Amino acid sequence: MRWGMVINLVKCTRCHACVAACRIEHFLPLGMNWPRLIAWETDVPGQELTTVPVRCNQCKEAPCVEVCPAEATKKREDGIVYVDNDICVGCRYCVVVCPYQNRTFFSRDKDPGYFPGYQRTRFEKAGRKLFPHVAGTTEKCDFCMERIDAGMAKGLVPGKDREATPACVNTCQARALTFGDLDDPESEISVLIKEKNGFQLHPEYGTEPSVYYIDGKIGNAPSNIAPREAQTAAHMQHLSTMEERARQIFGKK
Amino acid sequence: MTEKKIIKTTCKSCHGGCGVLVEVTDGVITHIEGNPDSTTNGTMCAKGLSSIQHIDNPYRITHPYKRAGEKGEGKWKQISWEEALDTIAAKIKEASEKYGPWTVATSQGTGRGYNRYTHRFSRSMGSANVISPGYICHSPRIGLYGLITGYGRLYCDYHGWGGVFPKTQISWAKQLEISSADSEMCYWYMKSLDYCKNLIVIDPRATAYTSRATLWLQPRPGTDAALALGMINTIIQEGLWDKEFVENWTYGFEELKKRAEEYPVEKVEEITWVPKEKIIQAARLFAVDTPGCIQIGSSLERQANCGQTLRAIIDLMGICGNIERPGSMVSWVLPETGLIEDVFNEIPLTDEMRSHIYGGDKFKMGAARTCNPDTIIREFNKGEIPIRVWISVGGQQIVHMASTKQVVEGLKKVDFMVQVDQFWGPMAEISDIVLPAAHWLEMDDIYDMHPRFMIEAHNKCVDPPGEAQSDAWIFNEIGRRVSPKYWFKDVETLLDYELRKAPVSWKQFSEKIISGCFGPDQVYYKYKTDYWRKGGGFPTPTGKMELYSTVLENLGYDPLPFFEEPGESPYSTPELAKEYPLVLTTGFRSPFYFLAQYRNIPWLRSFMEYPTMQINPETAKKLGIEDGDFVWIESPRGKIIQKARLFPGIDPRVVAATANWFYPEAPAQGFRGVFISNPNVLTDNNHQDPMYGSPDLTCLLCKVYKCQPEELKDPQYADIFTKEHGGRPWAW
Repeated sequence: MRWGMVINLVKCTRCHACVAACRIEHFLPLGMNWPRLIAWETDVPGQELTTVPVRCNQCKEAPCVEVCPAEATKKREDGIVYVDNDICVGCRYCVVVCPYQNRTFFSRDKDPGYFPGYQRTRFEKAGRKLFPHVAGTTEKCDFCMERIDAGMAKGLVPGKDREATPACVNTCQARALTFGDLDDPESEISVLIKEKNGFQLHPEYGTEPSVYYIDGKIGNAPSNIAPREAQTAAHMQHLSTMEERARQIFGKK
Repeated sequence: MTEKKIIKTTCKSCHGGCGVLVEVTDGVITHIEGNPDSTTNGTMCAKGLSSIQHIDNPYRITHPYKRAGEKGEGKWKQISWEEALDTIAAKIKEASEKYGPWTVATSQGTGRGYNRYTHRFSRSMGSANVISPGYICHSPRIGLYGLITGYGRLYCDYHGWGGVFPKTQISWAKQLEISSADSEMCYWYMKSLDYCKNLIVIDPRATAYTSRATLWLQPRPGTDAALALGMINTIIQEGLWDKEFVENWTYGFEELKKRAEEYPVEKVEEITWVPKEKIIQAARLFAVDTPGCIQIGSSLERQANCGQTLRAIIDLMGICGNIERPGSMVSWVLPETGLIEDVFNEIPLTDEMRSHIYGGDKFKMGAARTCNPDTIIREFNKGEIPIRVWISVGGQQIVHMASTKQVVEGLKKVDFMVQVDQFWGPMAEISDIVLPAAHWLEMDDIYDMHPRFMIEAHNKCVDPPGEAQSDAWIFNEIGRRVSPKYWFKDVETLLDYELRKAPVSWKQFSEKIISGCFGPDQVYYKYKTDYWRKGGGFPTPTGKMELYSTVLENLGYDPLPFFEEPGESPYSTPELAKEYPLVLTTGFRSPFYFLAQYRNIPWLRSFMEYPTMQINPETAKKLGIEDGDFVWIESPRGKIIQKARLFPGIDPRVVAATANWFYPEAPAQGFRGVFISNPNVLTDNNHQDPMYGSPDLTCLLCKVYKCQPEELKDPQYADIFTKEHGGRPWAW
């Protein structure tokens, strides 16, 4: 099992909801961004400059794991690379070695709070208890591993069940993010990567990222027939009511 | 012992409507995420999620204040609610008796739930002078759908409830993918694209979804009517129209055909700068690959040819039969609660109220409900005093109305102004009394979506800061003092009253959260049933969809759509174009802001620090402008500073400026920096749509040049541009 993510660059609207969801999920201090959108130059006419959503690639051959002298950056069996902030000594070798620059050093003196000169908000204060960030250590995206672990313990499936799926994937209105198991050739993301020629950012770095991107025009659907669950609005039916006049005329319900 | 609860509520960070789950731990909000048991399936955008920074935000208005200095001086004295409400009521009564109730105006921001309170409040006092941004956003399309099809609310069918999704979608001057301005439709729109064969984006600049589109038409701003008429002409000439629908259900096809003949594609290409091949292709796709729908954007309503532009687009839907069929434009059956806005419709406009609607003699369509705000500003600047008391909730008229300087000068002459708001902004700074408003996380209210097929509940999750109160409470309290017969003993009674047609009380509904009409409950082809008209048909004078509008004819307007050049353009004012050679559109929106809001929310401001204008690299090179430079954008009315983004996705002859910008961090003097970067400093309120009074906000002329570093040191805005993080009292 190796968790991975597919980002559909055509569906993505660059709305930054993934960034905001992560900030809430992990009570991120200011200046700390796990997922980001960065400028990207392409050869596509009219789109020479675009942005691309990035986050830790959870590389299979992660240089950050290799380089960590304290063995604080670890790779789990499911492929997630994470930092044990209790062990991290803050040497920042990993920040330097990550070819994707997806790691941030958290320094308390750079955390003035949301509103410098004012009391920290109650949300900020609560975050210090619920998701403490250790000053002087390095942080990065860990695919919401707490959610995955807690969800799987309940028998839920990451990528399918919301409670076991990363927060950014859940919040994406464009449904541009897909999460799942790269080792399972039948999984949704494996199929997407295969069918839509998924690619990794800078594969030449040789780190084998677990985050893939898909592109290419869509919106050329073979059919506009609505699937049954869309037609019946099954999940909304318990909330459905009809005005009296329409009920009299159409005789429904 | 920690007490943790999850409260279900509804977001209102844009027009709203996304279901939200709020985790409250010991009275503190510790988490926000989408509610999977809602129409939006648990998704939320950055604006909604960042609502968490409204809580404990030290810049919130927490108490009622009265002005203690000159307007715009920023000197305030805290007062009690009692004093504030009694003063307001006394001022209203005084003006009403002395000068007539119509001199009391109620203004609002974009229609987000408080519409029904502003209108009920205004009507209950005997005034129809509601100052709303409707005339430049949404009202014209509602009114014109009403004229043409008899029923005023047609929306794109993104749901598949009728068995199919739209096969061809046109996104016209709209970025529903980021703006969600038709409520929670953003999610549905993007979902429907998975089943869409052709997506046609019509926009003067590349947007997130032009790369996803089958076809991108890039018209010159302000020429959309010509484009629509060119498409109509192509469809008719090629015999691609829906013969069955046109024959049986429309009125005036022959007349429309004749009018459209005046717009051959060659001519349309010249007007719109869109290659004729693309116009023909778009027309064919829309006519052949049906069903289809057209998502109209409000930039079309910010043009002086707004009425006829929309007429043309609606006729385009009509000749292709894209009305009321599954996957086209549909008016939805209401939920059991009926029309929530009946809470103000039940107080009819009297002839006396109508006769005092400002601009009513001229802008007859807009005056169906409200006055023309620009007319009021012009009256003030002529030395008249049309409005004595102005009660404003949420909106920033100073920011969104044309000609910012004139608006400020006009508003300074209002005898007594009240602003109900969450944060200090230009409208608060020009007011006499400022009242603290609650955020949607802090209030009980009913959310009413634009497409009207459902309502949802806003449930209070935490207490508002200080003494802040919900809009419903504030209107009810002022209402009780001014026209007690129409108001209620408390907010709960008011909400119960709004739900009176359904067998639920507010308490029950607040637990249920949503009441809607989904899936098989929705009914298509209503014109073939008794729903609108006994025996079938559209509720228009002819009983048909009026491609040729008999109502407009009676009102003295052209019953058929036509194109007219914007007030300023390289063709209508060629002399002016020599000095101001670039076409300026001011409709540039970003996903992190909603209209004038959220520049003071750190998480959101972190995504776009300064207002950004897009300019083609070729043009920029000629002007010596580099990416990231601050530039001046100048029109005959004034000049503003924005940051240049070199962007190949815009025509070299056009530039796009970010809309609605003031600097909440700027001092009160200068009305919070409203003159520094707001594109409406550049716009003109004199050239208006004859039906709705919409001015040319999104199509005018300008010149652009680099802002020299020493110019940024002007004490007026030095802090904003030269200090780290603009010297802002918040950071990221």
